[in-house]
Amino acid sequence: MKTKHLGLASLLLGASALATPALADVNIGLLNGITGGAAAMAPEITKSLQFAVDQINEQGGVLQGEKLVGIMADDGCSPQVAADAATKLVNVSQVIGVVGPLCSGALMAAVNSATIPAGVILISQAATSPEITTLKDNDLVFRTIPSDEYQGQALARTLLDRGTKKVAVSFINNDYGKGIAEAFKKEYEAKGGEIAGYEAHEENKSSYRADLAGLAQGGADTLVLLDYGDTSGLTVLREAIENGFFEKFVGAEGMKTSAPVKAIGADNLTTFMASAPVSTKSEALDIFNKAFAEAGGDINASYVGPSYDAVFLLALAIEKAGGDKSKLSESLRAVSNGEGEPILPGEWKKAKELITAGKAIDYKGASGELNFDANGDVPGSYALFKVAGDDWAVETEMK
Amino acid sequence: MDMHSFINFFLLPGIVQGSIYALGAIGITLVFAIMRYGHFAHGDLATFGAFIALAFTTVLGLSPYAALPLAVLATGVFAVALDRLFYAHLRAMPKIITTIASFGVALMLRSFVQVVWGVNTTSYTRGITRPENWFGIRVKSHEIVTLLVAIALVVALHLFLTRNKWGKAMRAMSDNPELALFSGVDNGKVIALTWIIAGGLCAASGFFLGLNTELKSLMGWNILLPTFAAAILGGVGRIEGAIVGGLIVGIAEELSVLVIPGEYKVMSAFGILLLVLLFRPTGLFRGKVL
Repeated sequence: MKTKHLGLASLLLGASALATPALADVNIGLLNGITGGAAAMAPEITKSLQFAVDQINEQGGVLQGEKLVGIMADDGCSPQVAADAATKLVNVSQVIGVVGPLCSGALMAAVNSATIPAGVILISQAATSPEITTLKDNDLVFRTIPSDEYQGQALARTLLDRGTKKVAVSFINNDYGKGIAEAFKKEYEAKGGEIAGYEAHEENKSSYRADLAGLAQGGADTLVLLDYGDTSGLTVLREAIENGFFEKFVGAEGMKTSAPVKAIGADNLTTFMASAPVSTKSEALDIFNKAFAEAGGDINASYVGPSYDAVFLLALAIEKAGGDKSKLSESLRAVSNGEGEPILPGEWKKAKELITAGKAIDYKGASGELNFDANGDVPGSYALFKVAGDDWAVETEMK
Repeated sequence: MDMHSFINFFLLPGIVQGSIYALGAIGITLVFAIMRYGHFAHGDLATFGAFIALAFTTVLGLSPYAALPLAVLATGVFAVALDRLFYAHLRAMPKIITTIASFGVALMLRSFVQVVWGVNTTSYTRGITRPENWFGIRVKSHEIVTLLVAIALVVALHLFLTRNKWGKAMRAMSDNPELALFSGVDNGKVIALTWIIAGGLCAASGFFLGLNTELKSLMGWNILLPTFAAAILGGVGRIEGAIVGGLIVGIAEELSVLVIPGEYKVMSAFGILLLVLLFRPTGLFRGKVL
């Protein structure tokens, strides 16, 4: 009996000795909208995030050769789920920084309840609400995607340029919908357009005919629908087409998913267009596209570039700060402020050597220059897309 | 606004939505009447039923309407299995434990649906169906089917409860389980029967929700609160109460848009519920107090 215990004890001892790694891993959190309103975008975003993590580890990892580990958590595209997930990442997984979440409402909850109080830096690749710009974040919240303030304005100008002078606006009642709708309304009215109906709708209801009937009374033939294509946006669009409330439909990037095309059919969506951020043509984008395609990713999917950039930038900041959590914001600004030796996607080894040598670097991302302004935002460019076949094609650039 | 657009865009969607709530609320009310607890997995059971119907349409190539009876049956049997697995051994304990267990079952069901069918939004049929015009009343064929099937199910259930031996046994057990047991009613069988009926109605409500909108893993969870509101509004444990409650909640939600902004739609149903609970705590039809 005694020998048995001894044997067991030594076995445990041996196991724990084996389990202790030579170097600790560096954990970063990846808040991803695997379920909920942004679910259709999540698979390719996941690939892109993982691709960035793998690339960094293949080229020597971070700091003294530690492995960068991305811990994925589902934000459900909803405030409650995101707050829980972020709390777990910060307190249980002890992450040094977070990439994500995808949805603005989810981001608000995650940063206010978990990351800002804990002093953890967060870079979102897809949350576009203008509300995030004015967040009191102790310089801990950044974005590799431009704010909808710009997109709402660009959409308003593009519609007016194309001769649409009167629209009704229906938007989802959350941070994303409200933010972009307000930006759109302000610019559209300032430039002489008429808003004949402007109303929020609650997500996840099964009929919006009453809401739509109210909006249609204004007499506009175009509905600007600022919502997610996987949830209420799809229902609203379907009911508006079926009942002939409006003739033309314009959405933003939330509507530019495969779900409406699959569910409603391309032939019914000839008058449906959606705006979305596009990566400006650059050497960095070409390099990323080639490498990501080789790794099995879809380069035309939404947010893959910004996702990759967010992970890469976070890793650069960790490297620059020497793993010191309190210096991450400062370091993040330092590695992408337009000054220093340019670093392109995939050039992790080169960046690491330069940082070690104490030289300044400037990351040029797949999604753009990514020079953060005082609010942690980046400027962006947009295009208007239309449905072509089973996919989306660029109709026109937006200014 | 003229009469036609009032009926087309406000009343009709409200009635369709109301009958979907009613089908779910009958199940909730039945479970409460027989077993005395609130079953919170009801919404996700509806999701499960809707996706089972989807499986019948994709795997067997059936039309959605042909898949409905199969899904109703399958979900009914599945509900009995759920009861045997998770609720049966809690029967003697305080009811709140079973209620909390049903939350756990709800999460499991939802995850099961997400694992098997994925998290993306889907639908039974691709494309759109434009409504038919009957003298200015615009109604879609699947809305008519929703209403007809809901009415048929309710009538069948009523006949079963009043004419059939087992239906009478269910009512006896609802009134007084001990007395029913002493009179020779097999409680186990009645409980199984209750689950078959509740599960089947649940699948029907999920199916019609999916048919009228889209299928997604959270669809049932999203209608759980209004469904519960409908059951309580009508008086818990009263079938006719659940039907009236469902219709009131559905119609109130749609009509409320006339007076309050659309984003507060959900509030209207709860407003009515609050008033009923204040002035008539047993619900419209004098149900059991929760």
